[in-house]
Amino acid sequence: MTFGQALFMGLLQGASELFPVSSLGHAVLVPSLLHWSFKQSDPSFVPFLVLLHLGTATALLVIYRDQWIAIIRGFFTAAIRGEMRTDTERLAMLLLVGTIPAAVLGVFLESRIKSLFASPYAAATFLVVNGVLMLGFEQLRRRREPPAESRVEQEEHFARAERISFVAAAIVGACQALAFLPGISRSGITIGGGLIAGLRHQEAARFSFLLATPVILGAGIVEVPQLFGSGIPIGQYVAAAVLSGLAAYASARFLLRYFRSGRLDPYGLYCIVAGLVSLALLRFGL
Amino acid sequence: MIKSNTVAVGLGVLGVVLIIAAVLYAVGILQLFSSGSGNHYKHAILCVVLAVASFVGANFARPRTV
Repeated sequence: MTFGQALFMGLLQGASELFPVSSLGHAVLVPSLLHWSFKQSDPSFVPFLVLLHLGTATALLVIYRDQWIAIIRGFFTAAIRGEMRTDTERLAMLLLVGTIPAAVLGVFLESRIKSLFASPYAAATFLVVNGVLMLGFEQLRRRREPPAESRVEQEEHFARAERISFVAAAIVGACQALAFLPGISRSGITIGGGLIAGLRHQEAARFSFLLATPVILGAGIVEVPQLFGSGIPIGQYVAAAVLSGLAAYASARFLLRYFRSGRLDPYGLYCIVAGLVSLALLRFGL
Repeated sequence: MIKSNTVAVGLGVLGVVLIIAAVLYAVGILQLFSSGSGNHYKHAILCVVLAVASFVGANFARPRTV
């Protein structure tokens, strides 16, 4: 992998990790469509992905630093007291409940699923499926929206992340496992799940990003020892990780603003078009 | 959450079992649900997280006398 390719992959991963368009799907598809010769099965590719994920997780920690301090404090307070008294304490427990199914499924299933479906054709097909899911989530949501003067007013009828039920948090957390399929977006699935559970779009995105942080960070930290293998161009990889973090930071800021009134529809349409175009390009070898 | 001494004790015992499983995974004795032999740190960390969740659940389930 050249330095330019590493930087491009960092930018792509950071930008697509939080947008509901599947970073894994793009990481599988784009190099294949550009006819890049590096192999994702190469032993040095895993440390590269680890660093990119740590970059993304760092961006999320920076954005939500105040909330994470309050959440961690709230977690210990509620855990020791054995009772939740504030919204922050409830959010801390919701995140724990949401993270457990993702962590269990991640440890036991991730490598098996990824190795089964790590082809560009599978990624393109699942990207189309992801698009259909995004449109489906929005259709289900529209049925529950009251008529209102503006989208912002419509959104106010729905709940904040702290009010989601524990069962819904566990289901949304478990849905993250679907994102092991290249082309299915973790943030898309969790935002969609949040919408079905009755959250505002912006709150569903916030819950999705908070839920993603321990999973991305944990997966990255566990793989850190692989970074110390020989022959890894660590300087290049760190530069790509920094770019990934900056792209993730900008993406998260944009999305939180966008989801004040925006919907998943444009991302759903993008996934369907990108998936179909990719399938055509792969089929005809263009 | 259900307030019951039985549930609280059950979750506490589960937490202890998970801590033991974490140690066994970390030193490479336990190979259950893992691919290949050796130390399974991912499984060990997961067991620790689940143990913490069990202990928290046990504390929440414990009936309180006012």
